[in-house]
Amino acid sequence: MTDSGNQPRLGYPNLGLGVGLRTVHFQHVLERQPDVDWFEIISENFIDSQGRPRHVLDQIAERYPIVMHGVSMSIGSTDPLNIPYLHKLKKLAGEINARWISDHLCWTGVAGVNSHDLLPMPLNEQSLQHVIDRIHIVQDVLERPLVLENPSSYVTFTDSTMDEWEFITRMSEATDCGLLLDVNNVYVSAFNHDLDPEQFIRGLPHERIVQFHLAGHSNYVTHLIDTHDGHVIDPVWRLYALAHELTGGVSTLLEWDAKIPPFEELHAEVLKAKRFMKEHLVPAGADAEPHDPAIETRQSADWVPHPLHHVKPDVE
Amino acid sequence: MSDTQHNLDVIQKWFASVIMHPEGVDGGVESEQAQRVIRMSRDQLEQVVARSKNLTAAERMGIYANAYYARLLEVMRESFPVMARALGAETFDAFAFGYLQSFPSRSYTLDHLADHFVKFLQQTRPDDEDAAWADFLIDLARLEQTIAEVFDGPGIEKTGAVTIDQLMAVDPERWAEARLEPVVCLRLLKFSYPVNAYWSAARKTPEDEPLDLPAAADEYVAITRRNYIVRRLSLTAEQFALLSALAAGQTVGEAIESAAAASTMSDDELAGQLGAWFRLWASEQVFTRIMV
Repeated sequence: MTDSGNQPRLGYPNLGLGVGLRTVHFQHVLERQPDVDWFEIISENFIDSQGRPRHVLDQIAERYPIVMHGVSMSIGSTDPLNIPYLHKLKKLAGEINARWISDHLCWTGVAGVNSHDLLPMPLNEQSLQHVIDRIHIVQDVLERPLVLENPSSYVTFTDSTMDEWEFITRMSEATDCGLLLDVNNVYVSAFNHDLDPEQFIRGLPHERIVQFHLAGHSNYVTHLIDTHDGHVIDPVWRLYALAHELTGGVSTLLEWDAKIPPFEELHAEVLKAKRFMKEHLVPAGADAEPHDPAIETRQSADWVPHPLHHVKPDVE
Repeated sequence: MSDTQHNLDVIQKWFASVIMHPEGVDGGVESEQAQRVIRMSRDQLEQVVARSKNLTAAERMGIYANAYYARLLEVMRESFPVMARALGAETFDAFAFGYLQSFPSRSYTLDHLADHFVKFLQQTRPDDEDAAWADFLIDLARLEQTIAEVFDGPGIEKTGAVTIDQLMAVDPERWAEARLEPVVCLRLLKFSYPVNAYWSAARKTPEDEPLDLPAAADEYVAITRRNYIVRRLSLTAEQFALLSALAAGQTVGEAIESAAAASTMSDDELAGQLGAWFRLWASEQVFTRIMV
């Protein structure tokens, strides 16, 4: 490992304002070459691809900076790390010059079964040491710092003994890993766990934050769900403005994974971030969570929280 | 904090058992699998999972339990869009729900979620003779599974395929002894229902219009890929026999004999077709190498 932990963003560049690359936009990006700063890919959609997804990615990587964002590392699981999977990440990162590799502070399965969800960790000394040990292994295999994201969560455990921001701070200090601060996830988790989202963000080690995520979520009145299916709401933009101020600005990425709009709308959404990079531009009346009565009547089967990443084939 | 902290492994095995249980959180907490890890009643759930201001521990865990099946069922519907349409969403989900319990994902990628679906359908096929519809569904699932495999599997876009000119350049004296290696993305499928035609019809018919289930009839299809797009080639029984024999490593001469054995055509009729067939397959990039 290097001493990159002493530098802001671990020495990684501020790539500007990017969006998540989704298959529905492949053709648009290839043909129009939109003026977006960078793309983030879902690693699992490409590490094994020998077809069109990888072919398209290679072309896009020639023109745009790419960051790899995974959903299956399962850094918190008590199952053994999947070393061949890590080698595939490393190989692809080398081939497309990925600027960094990120995943989530979570576990996705145990006893060999993958839930394909980002499951919550109990936050205590045992789980902290477990995650630290595994980050060291991952970073040794990848030969670069791992960047980890705070997930949205819907439960807390009675076994937890520390706040999430303390866990993240101690984890990153012990491993020199980077942090991907998902501002929307902070908002969602804080609402669900009756916490103050500003306290969460202020409690993090800001110099270790490499990247921000922004996304929309769904409001079920009693709880929020991280659905990535809409616009970023104003209270989340306010948190983004705070995070921007505390970090001095880092690479920012918008995720949109369901009801995905045309590329122009997606790009316009992340460009709104520019408004919040300057202080005092918070929209009036932006404190309240928007209340859409149509949303709360939705049945559970109507929504699927992030992550849902599956590529549909092109067939003649 | 609870009085006695659970081991992380215990918490994870318990949590997974509960949220993946087909009867939801209540059934999950009381399931044998969960009870083996943490013995508790439903009333004791908040000893492990804290409640929030708005939700009980069971309601909070229910978010994960609902999401687990909702997410994977959505992937299954996307993986088998025409089968889901043929059955209707509710019936398809019932099949997929059963499948996910028998074959939960063991891969880091959702691309392998449906790997055992055809096997599951075969294993659970009703025994009675009136269940011919089951064979139609199994054939349709095989077709859709193969399309997905070929789409993102190995291809020939960077290595190329045998051209018509290369085929024509083979010395006619040695043609019968030649072997033609199929491209790595070629799959040859025989169905007992015309599911490829059904699949095409489904694409052309608006979603809200019904599709009639076809009568049983043999159908032969080659699935391959060109320029990163999956191609479906309808085959005759003779073409299927010929390509299958070539794919098995037989010489062209032996493969033609195999085709003749499977054919009701006279030898002359068959011989008259062969030139056109090989030209078509070369244009479709079906062969990767000529060995003479």
